[in-house]
Amino acid sequence: MNDQGMTASSTTSRAHTITALLLIVCVAIWAFLAWNAPIDRVQGVIQKILYVHVPMAIGTYLGFICTALGGALYLWKGEERWDRFALSSAEIGVLFAVMMLISGPIWGKGTWGKWWSWDLRLTLTLLLFFVYVAYLLLRSFTEGSERAARFAAVYGIAGLALIPLNYFAIKLAAGRSIHPENLGGDSLGTGMGWPFFMGMVAMVAVFAFLLVRRLEVGSLRAEQTRRLALANREGMT
Amino acid sequence: MRSGVAEQQRVSQAGPAIEVRGLTRSFGPLVALYPLDLDVPSGSTLAVLGPNGAGKSTLLRLIAGLARPSAGTIRLGATQHEGAPDDRLARRRRIGLIGHATFLYPALTARENLILAGRLWSVDDPEARAATLLDEQDLLAAADRPIGGFSRGMAQRVAIARALVHDPAILLLDEPFTGLDPTAADRLTVQLKAARDGGRTSLLVTHDLSRAAALADRTLILKHGVARPIAPEALSSRDNLDAAYREAIASPAPS
Amino acid sequence: MSILWTLLWKDLLTEWRSRDRLVAMLVFALLVVVVLYFAAPPGQAGTAREHVPGLLWVAYIFAIVLGLSRSFGMELENEALSGLALAPVDRGLIFLGKAGANLVLVLIMQAVAAVAFALAFDVNLGPVALPLAGVAFLGAVGLCSLGTLFSAMAVRTTNREMILPLLMLPLMVPVLLGAVQATRGLIAEGELPFSALQLLLVTDGVFLIVSFLGFEYVLDE
Repeated sequence: MNDQGMTASSTTSRAHTITALLLIVCVAIWAFLAWNAPIDRVQGVIQKILYVHVPMAIGTYLGFICTALGGALYLWKGEERWDRFALSSAEIGVLFAVMMLISGPIWGKGTWGKWWSWDLRLTLTLLLFFVYVAYLLLRSFTEGSERAARFAAVYGIAGLALIPLNYFAIKLAAGRSIHPENLGGDSLGTGMGWPFFMGMVAMVAVFAFLLVRRLEVGSLRAEQTRRLALANREGMT
Repeated sequence: MRSGVAEQQRVSQAGPAIEVRGLTRSFGPLVALYPLDLDVPSGSTLAVLGPNGAGKSTLLRLIAGLARPSAGTIRLGATQHEGAPDDRLARRRRIGLIGHATFLYPALTARENLILAGRLWSVDDPEARAATLLDEQDLLAAADRPIGGFSRGMAQRVAIARALVHDPAILLLDEPFTGLDPTAADRLTVQLKAARDGGRTSLLVTHDLSRAAALADRTLILKHGVARPIAPEALSSRDNLDAAYREAIASPAPS
Repeated sequence: MSILWTLLWKDLLTEWRSRDRLVAMLVFALLVVVVLYFAAPPGQAGTAREHVPGLLWVAYIFAIVLGLSRSFGMELENEALSGLALAPVDRGLIFLGKAGANLVLVLIMQAVAAVAFALAFDVNLGPVALPLAGVAFLGAVGLCSLGTLFSAMAVRTTNREMILPLLMLPLMVPVLLGAVQATRGLIAEGELPFSALQLLLVTDGVFLIVSFLGFEYVLDE
């Protein structure tokens, strides 16, 4: 645990202002590009939801990969900050997943004519979402930070490691997928590439920003805990 | 703020059986044990005294390997706490723990519990070993009844037998007299004295100062997870220990 | 190896003395059969053949979650689990002993529930009994391995009965799908679909490895 402490709080708050401003600019460019992107000939205006949906999916998976990674590093090194990294990533990942799971069905209703399809990728992502909700619940049900961290790390790693199995299983059961394929050069109409690209950049930036802020909250809490413990000790003499 | 243990006369030859360096255990905002250094020479008996919540049980569980240290090392003879899995198995073979809980399965009989322990510790003839231990604890009459129906004192006697099943070099005792009737408590005292004279190292957590004075050749006093100094000659009698204990507890924490 | 037998003996003897976990699992599985009968009565031709595999495994998984949630209950009384952790025994063996004992109970429950299903939904399972038992066994291995790991976690949480199904169900999908497909193939066509068998075998292997490795981190305080 090498927390920075609060000594450099004025410089960090300036750094926050700058990064926040950059983020706002990023998101504004994305919104502008998405707004002005050509309307899809087949799907119509509803296709623009994908400029939100796809970046959210990127953020979701990024969050869950970071959770498993943080958990593995925690088990390996035993350093509390890796656990904070894992927990923060899981929280942000679930946040992104919720937005993805809201934006997806709206697009699906407009394009497929139904809110949900038990399609390979949808099912897989839904299961992953459940895994990480269970991850957060497991943490809140476990008393004692060290044990909670250890259990959650095991579960987070298992959750990600078992996803390929889920993939094959659902492929076997559900068969053909109706979810659009990954973004290739051809699947997008002209003028749609840039808003997509900018969306990814903006969402990864938002992800990183939230993660850093959440980590700071986590390390401040840890610091507070440490001071509380110190005060306890001094108070008892 | 590290402090050691009161040294005393009847002490020993070889290197320390237990060597603790900078051992710390914290649990959220609560610190159960502040950095502690401790040497327990082989063949000696250390009494660990202190008020409730002082971190005595935590210390025992850390040495037994039931809890993970937040920092610091514990060395048992040649084996070190953090190491290859084989070392950990070797360490567990050296240790017997009598804990707050009895570690017994209520559905199994006293004999079955002891045979189970004997097999887990790979004792040569678990059945014979169980019979010997039951006899030592005067439990033969109740040997084939499930633990679930035992009184606290009887279960405690089985728990003592369980901890001794593999004849451990180091015995960790967390208030072993709990629930024992006077006869059984005296028997345990005699057994512990015999074990000490036979070269076994013991850590005895207790609130019973007269038994501590009778059994221990050194003391560690803990309060709020911090070791307090105590005069070495305190162990000479129960009254001396009582006075020294009160003084140590009342004194401010060393920094 | 003898250590493993000792651990199994301890669990099964304890279970045999009380029998409460096995009885609870059995009764629950049979109750699910009754409830499912009214949810999907075998009226029209073909209904049973289509639905029985899925319903059977739904009954299995609910009963297993119920049974496994108490799997470490006996270890908490008198802190027997700590006593086990003190022993110079590899944690992997402790896992295998526990998962093995759970497996035995689950297999008994599966056999009884399968008979109840055959009677209630009027499906003749006789001709495929042996391969069906194999599929049930493979499914049970996967469910018991990961389930034992998670129940060891759940038992140390404040809401243990609540958290176990939440932990288990999202990750149990591959076993469930493989087992249902295999069972459906057996009941409908009388032969085992290779892809489902493959999925079950791979899943069992991965689940066993993950739980075996993970248990090391779950047992300690």
